[in-house]
Amino acid sequence: MKKTIMFALSFLFAAQCFAEEISFPTVSYEGEELAAVKLWEKSWSGKKITAENVDQVKDFLHEGAYNAVKNPEIFGADAIWFEVVPYRPYTLSKGIIEATKKYAPNSKLDEKGGLVGYGDVAGIPFPQPKTGIEMAWNFDGNTRGDSHTEVQFGAVVDCKTRFERETEQHRWELYWIGRCDVPPTPAFSKEVNPRGIARSFFQRHAAPADFVDTTMLEIKYKDPHRMEDLWVYTAMFRRIRRYANNQRTDSIDGTDMIYDDQDGWYTSVLHNTYEFKGREDLLVVRHQDAAKVERIKGQGYWSGLQRERANLWVVEVKNNDKNYIYGKQIWYLDPEDWHMDFKVMYNRQGQMWKMYEFGFDEFPSYGGQTTPIFNTEHIVDFLRNHGSASKRGIKEVGLEIPTTLFRTKSLKQKSY
Amino acid sequence: MKKTINVFSATFLVLAVTGIFVSDGQAAFHLFDEKLRVKGSVYEFMIYRTNIKDDEKQYRDSDLGLMRAKGTLELLYKAVEKENLQVNVFGFFQWWRESVPDVDDEYHRSMTNSNRKRFQGPYYDQDDWINELYVDLYAGKWNIRLGKQIVFWSEVEMVRTIDRINPLDLRYTTPGIDPFDEMKLGLWMMRGFYNSDLPGQLVFEWIWVPGDYEGVRTPREGSNWGANPGPEGKAELRPRPFGQGAAVNEMWRKSQPAFSIRNSTFAFRVRGNSEVSIFGEFYLLDWTVSYYHGMNNTPVANRGKLGEPNILNMDPSTTNGYLNNLAIRRLLGADFLEVPRGLWEYKFFDAVGASCQTYVPKLGAVVRGEFSYEIGLPELKAYTDDVEASPSYMKQIIGTTERDVINAGVTVDKPLKSNWLSQRWGASGVFDCTLGWFGQWRLGDVSRIRRTFAYQDRSQTNFTLTVRTRFRNNEVWPTFRMLYNTRNWGYGVFAVRYTPGKHLRYELGYLWFFANNPYAFREANAEDNDSVYFRIGYEF
Repeated sequence: MKKTIMFALSFLFAAQCFAEEISFPTVSYEGEELAAVKLWEKSWSGKKITAENVDQVKDFLHEGAYNAVKNPEIFGADAIWFEVVPYRPYTLSKGIIEATKKYAPNSKLDEKGGLVGYGDVAGIPFPQPKTGIEMAWNFDGNTRGDSHTEVQFGAVVDCKTRFERETEQHRWELYWIGRCDVPPTPAFSKEVNPRGIARSFFQRHAAPADFVDTTMLEIKYKDPHRMEDLWVYTAMFRRIRRYANNQRTDSIDGTDMIYDDQDGWYTSVLHNTYEFKGREDLLVVRHQDAAKVERIKGQGYWSGLQRERANLWVVEVKNNDKNYIYGKQIWYLDPEDWHMDFKVMYNRQGQMWKMYEFGFDEFPSYGGQTTPIFNTEHIVDFLRNHGSASKRGIKEVGLEIPTTLFRTKSLKQKSY
Repeated sequence: MKKTINVFSATFLVLAVTGIFVSDGQAAFHLFDEKLRVKGSVYEFMIYRTNIKDDEKQYRDSDLGLMRAKGTLELLYKAVEKENLQVNVFGFFQWWRESVPDVDDEYHRSMTNSNRKRFQGPYYDQDDWINELYVDLYAGKWNIRLGKQIVFWSEVEMVRTIDRINPLDLRYTTPGIDPFDEMKLGLWMMRGFYNSDLPGQLVFEWIWVPGDYEGVRTPREGSNWGANPGPEGKAELRPRPFGQGAAVNEMWRKSQPAFSIRNSTFAFRVRGNSEVSIFGEFYLLDWTVSYYHGMNNTPVANRGKLGEPNILNMDPSTTNGYLNNLAIRRLLGADFLEVPRGLWEYKFFDAVGASCQTYVPKLGAVVRGEFSYEIGLPELKAYTDDVEASPSYMKQIIGTTERDVINAGVTVDKPLKSNWLSQRWGASGVFDCTLGWFGQWRLGDVSRIRRTFAYQDRSQTNFTLTVRTRFRNNEVWPTFRMLYNTRNWGYGVFAVRYTPGKHLRYELGYLWFFANNPYAFREANAEDNDSVYFRIGYEF
């Protein structure tokens, strides 16, 4: 008995020591670095950056973004511009901070790179990461307020011919594990989640005309080796079709995005290998007023983005499948809540092929907290001068979505 | 008759080709504070025959097979939106005009007036213009749908196995061009669902069709997909458009059951979603089990009015007699006799069915399977060949019987990827390939089962292949479909769909039919129907 008490006390003491080493939230700049950024912002904050002056901020732009502003005609525009706004750290929810401080001290990876205890923990597992795979697990740990609903208004744009096809989807998304804010935390019980679902979304299409009422259900599992399940109810044929997993590299509804690209990376962390490439100080879209983005017909890349400086973690990502559609991806991860600010995809010949850029903002979430979620995005194809630009009307974050929505029966019943 | 192209078709064609339609706008629009959603489409569908044989040319002035303008209007009204009660009203309305009989005199003359009138527009039944119209009520775990509906129970394409609630309208197109779902006829019914919390997420569904019976609408005699109104060769038969096919169509129509509770159809289905682990691999199975009790969608002869099964029977009040009489009258050019009522009977049968689909990781494919066991399917009887050596479609009907029939089908959907292609021409780089096998077995003695098609066949086997891909970010959709029956008949379709913007849709395709014996099956009978087709439409 005595031994047990001693062991428990020493364990608690050790845990406390580890906990003290955890620093979260982590901001992009502190101290002198922050002062230098503020000084730079005195010259640039509020300025409109166009093809004429983009060279002056070239050092803070990825070459893809620089090329789009410098040569707007490649994306069907007469001019592409953005505005520089001051850097602002995010106000993260109490839930994600507490979960990170609670679980991160004991976070570790198994020999295959899997996160030990995945499904029973929450928060950002490695707030001070050292390796690429730890950064990937941090990205995976961001649950975007645990649930949200949104309506996406997009356009698939051929920038050469200026043909556009509208898309509109209504989406409900729920995290079943890794929950920080909305009870139950950190996960639904086994009774509610006997299949070990990690995350699910339900989507109903409202455009283009041929896809109105098409519904989609995707389930990602806690078991990292288990493939996602995807069902699509095609209203045109009124049939629920199960999708094969190897259709995940197929484009979604003709956009430049494949299924794996959703939210940056939708599938298991363990499908890739990761190499940390360093940190980069770049202008990215972290506080975007969605009403301020604009584009003309035939333009596949947003103007009016509000870019601020952030010190991003850069990770090179290669898929374990040698025949994967992308030769490699470069992820640019935000140091504060570990969302992806943008990523660049290369083809197997090593050419820069696509760039997927997100525009985030902070939204009210469960219990009066705030959560960063993206409300604008574009994914552009540099080889074909093609783009898919969309806005996301975030309806509610951190809500209680009935888990019964994520059943195949809903595909037909929420449709006509 | 005036050779005036239907005004609607022509106007639509000109507008669509020149793209004068409004190019901006929403996919659907909403009214009354978003309570009413309105969407619809206008399409012109044209078939041009490329292989009309000399024997058929006497029935055609042109090579046009179809020129059908169709408009649809879909309304969804959210009547009640409370937390525990939602009531929606859904309506899908349609109108069409098939114009070939207007521009082709010989084609016009090859159809009976009655068939032609019902063929050229939504005039077969008075509610044909309503494809669906129902009230959809959600209360807790219950969902009740009341009204005219179309039900989709199938998992597979191209061959029907368990999807039998709604009959088909095969007068205008074939499953190779359009999916079955486009050809279904709505029925007035009560349909309910109970979404349980039982293991397997079971959903219980039941259907009651209180007497709204529709038979299958087979291709009309003299029309593009129907038989010619006379035999091959220059037989100057009169009245020309009233051949055996038209007579049988008319007999079936006049024997159609009345709208009566006694003629109700019942169906039940349980849908589940179960997880099983086999050799350490998880399989999530989407499965259904179903039961059906209803009338067959084709009738059998009324035994009481069959008449003597020999060619000397000329009694027009009996089925055999009427058909013999008609044949002689046509040769002699005598007047056509009114078809009596009640020569045929629509009979009930039962069927149990099951379906399942799952992703199989080892194959990298989704496997779907369907099975149905039809109990007591009504059949006609005929003499065997050694007693009456005439072709199956000419055999006298000697009685009726029932047989059990087993249907089964399996499809494998496997996407084949090409990384090379995915970086060119906006291609998806994915070829969605579906390989299917379908079998049908008639149980018991089949030697005297009279079928116009598939006579004396105990079983038949079909293989299907569909390959589909996309270019230019889903603007261009090439598709290849093929069906091969082991009796050496089948068809292939190659089509390209072009969707350049929000609203306009184009499709160009080629249909190729082949058959060793055109009487092996209904589709085999279309062996000379090779065609080019073009579809142009506007969707909103």
